[in-house]
Amino acid sequence: MSLLTRNDIRGLMAEVVAAQGKRLPDDDGALLRDIGFRSLDFSELALRVEDDIGHELNFDAPGLRQIASVGDVLEFLDSLQRM
Amino acid sequence: MSEDLTPIPPASCVVVSGGSRGLGLALVQDILGRGARVAAFARSVTPELAALAAEHPEEVYVEAVDITDVRAVEAFVRAAGNRLGPIDALVNNAAAGQDSLLVHTAPDRIASLIETNLTAPLLLTRAVLRRMLAGGRRGRIVMITSVCAQRGYSGLVVYAAAKGALEAAARTLAREMHGRALVNCVAPGFFASEMSSALGSEQLDTITRRTPSGRLVEPTDIVPLVRTLLFEDTNLNGQVLTVDGGSSI
Ligand SMILES: NC(=O)c1ccc[n+]([C@@H]2O[C@H](COP(=O)([O-])OP(=O)(O)OC[C@H]3O[C@@H](n4cnc5c(N)ncnc54)[C@H](OP(=O)(O)O)[C@@H]3O)[C@@H](O)[C@H]2O)c1
Repeated sequence: MSLLTRNDIRGLMAEVVAAQGKRLPDDDGALLRDIGFRSLDFSELALRVEDDIGHELNFDAPGLRQIASVGDVLEFLDSLQRM
Repeated sequence: MSEDLTPIPPASCVVVSGGSRGLGLALVQDILGRGARVAAFARSVTPELAALAAEHPEEVYVEAVDITDVRAVEAFVRAAGNRLGPIDALVNNAAAGQDSLLVHTAPDRIASLIETNLTAPLLLTRAVLRRMLAGGRRGRIVMITSVCAQRGYSGLVVYAAAKGALEAAARTLAREMHGRALVNCVAPGFFASEMSSALGSEQLDTITRRTPSGRLVEPTDIVPLVRTLLFEDTNLNGQVLTVDGGSSI
């Protein structure tokens, strides 16, 4: 299966956020803290990306601790799927 | 050997796994300071450990051994016994850390954590006990476990499972070795080392805040407990001594 574009990943992230009755801001700089996007939301998103690309994206927690904004999430998952 | 009900003597020759740095190195130094002989291994021998062996060639034996290499571990135990004399104690200290949610930990990483942190220490314990029993000796086993065997900490599922299993094994072994070996665990809270270096300062601050004694554990807090289990006549057997400043209460 092929890799997802950054926009595809953003779309999946919007779905995770929408399932909680919220809207994903368009601004990549929006802070996860303000949206209420927590670490298990990130896990859910990563697993959805895995389903779409057809392989596992395993990673350690320290990398996650640097993630603060929507753009950080997209960047992290985009680079992970390319590894 | 007929049943000997006298106290198990203090350790005279101790194997320490993962004795190259961190807590393991502090334990090697302390055991040596108590006048016992010590055989230590890790995947690589650090300059500090090599220097100890060079300074005390009759009392210290070191080698680079991967604990997951069963043959190499058995050969190490045999060679250590030949060099230093009969082994009568073991500190199972070597371990690999984890910092990943179970759902994002690859299956082969899970297998490797279990191998390093559970299967290999059990096989090392087996190797030491077999030589001890064959020589008609009695002895002492100390497992370095972790507070996370008893309390939940995110990111440590596999590591905690292995440490909890070691604690269960220690209790069972204490009974199984019926008077031939004292088997106990020391379960530290978080302390600064290469293993815990992935923790951010924010997490360390949180752990410190939640610790009633107000300070994180240090190897100097742990070493005296291991020393007691190796050298003192306490009749402690099958127990877990938790040293975490009270953070798990
Ligand atoms: N640090 C903590 O916060 C903490 C808390 C609770 C319990 N503990 C426990 O305390 C003990 C000591 O931990 P530490 O913090 O001092 O860790 P550390 O600094 O990472 O040292 C671990 C030691 O084990 C050796 N080791 C690791 N994998 C090995 C392998 N496959 N074969 C042989 N040796 C191996 C390492 O040397 P090489 O890498 O060269 O092999 C090193 O000598 C461990 O059992 C740990 O689980 C630590």
